[in-house]
Amino acid sequence: MKLSTKIVAALLAFAMPAAPAFAQDGAMQLNGDVMAVKTTTDASGAEATELVAPTVIVPGDRLIFGTDYTNSGSEAVTDFVVTNPLPSAVALAPDADPELTVSVNGGNNWGVLGTLTVTAEDGSTRAAEHGDVTHVRWTLASVAPGETGRLEYPAIIR
Amino acid sequence: MNTQNLIKPTLANSLASALAVSILAMAAAAPAHAAGVDAGTLIENTATATYDDGSGPQTVDSNTVVVRVDELLDVTVTSLDGGPIGTAPGDEVLTFEVTNQGNGPEAFELTANPAVAGNDFDTTVNNIAVDTNGNGTYDPGVDQILASPETTAVLAADETLTVFVLVTVPPSATDTQTSDVELIAEAVTGAGAPGDTFAGQGVDGGDAIVGTTGADSTATGSLLVGITTVDLIKSADVVDPFGGTSAVPGSVVTFTISAEVTGSGSVDNLIVTDAFPADTTYVAGTLTLAGNPLTDASGDDAGETDATGITVDLGTVAGGTTQAITFDVTIDQ
Repeated sequence: MKLSTKIVAALLAFAMPAAPAFAQDGAMQLNGDVMAVKTTTDASGAEATELVAPTVIVPGDRLIFGTDYTNSGSEAVTDFVVTNPLPSAVALAPDADPELTVSVNGGNNWGVLGTLTVTAEDGSTRAAEHGDVTHVRWTLASVAPGETGRLEYPAIIR
Repeated sequence: MNTQNLIKPTLANSLASALAVSILAMAAAAPAHAAGVDAGTLIENTATATYDDGSGPQTVDSNTVVVRVDELLDVTVTSLDGGPIGTAPGDEVLTFEVTNQGNGPEAFELTANPAVAGNDFDTTVNNIAVDTNGNGTYDPGVDQILASPETTAVLAADETLTVFVLVTVPPSATDTQTSDVELIAEAVTGAGAPGDTFAGQGVDGGDAIVGTTGADSTATGSLLVGITTVDLIKSADVVDPFGGTSAVPGSVVTFTISAEVTGSGSVDNLIVTDAFPADTTYVAGTLTLAGNPLTDASGDDAGETDATGITVDLGTVAGGTTQAITFDVTIDQ
């Protein structure tokens, strides 16, 4: 397991003191993770997939980015919206939930992918594709005290 | 590309780490190759939530997870020769292209194999050279000959390099024989089965992983021997003034020169010259090629004559053809 070398936490040291402070002040806590999808073929030729720590990843590999949320407060929270900008080095996987709310223009407009268009430099428009997605977003009307859940999206390394 | 090293030295104050990360996130957008994002690219993911806890809107960030893209080792070699190269005993050049199909900088070790199954004969590999001046043609003394073990410079992701394999066709090679030469390129970091991993040997200390090409590739260049020979056969017919065939003063001698080209190739600039024999005089206007008269003047057709002899320029002649040249002289009194 080489997780410690892959998750370059030290680089982000500046962010670490800030995030827990927010999390402790507010009711909601977010905990992100990433897993690689590994496909194995057994003796009978049947393919199986499993989630493993992303020890070795290269273009074309599939990653699952996940965020666990917890309402650690004593009151329900409302209008819980989780926004996740896609790292530029990945594209939303083609088999992502088609009902996922996404943006293809940096978070300015939102919708399911099938309703969005992309405007080219020459002014022409085309239907948006998975590779155009810049953000994904989940909206929950309310989260009860003690409630936990998980949000995730699949991505392919460009 | 090592984004961190490029950026960090320019930032010396306490904000360096914060700035470096925000710039990194943007820089990651740039590299996009056929082979995918560059090795060493950091993929960072952070989710942000907003909600209302009854006391007003709140914001919370998740921790940021970071994974580094590892180095994919992939290479292809292709022959740039449009087909078998027509050749003859002596030196020949085969041209190949090596492409780094991986996503990181990598050098490749090159091996030329002249002993390919099915060869009618094997060439001798003298050297492997790189197209230093980038003109696609081997230039002796200009294009760098690689020292053993022949290894390319480090090629960036997607970079291509033209490589020449310099061989000698042996004198024993005969017309229409063929010979193949293979060029093999193998990633210096290592090759193997797709998925094989070389821990810590990728960009920025990441891992290197063998891609679908196995991190080695082979291409074949072909040689086709075309040996073309020219035989000139000269004959004479004599007609004497008395209706006989004696060579006496006043006899007319018709010389016929057959230019016989044999072999699978062709010859260029085939020029036939013949001097008039001593004590004879050319009969003006008697020069012919393949039965058709040629003028004695130069420049208007393939043939010309002067005081000393005839010249006929046959140009490029394919193997398997014979052309006859005739002219008359009289034996001097």
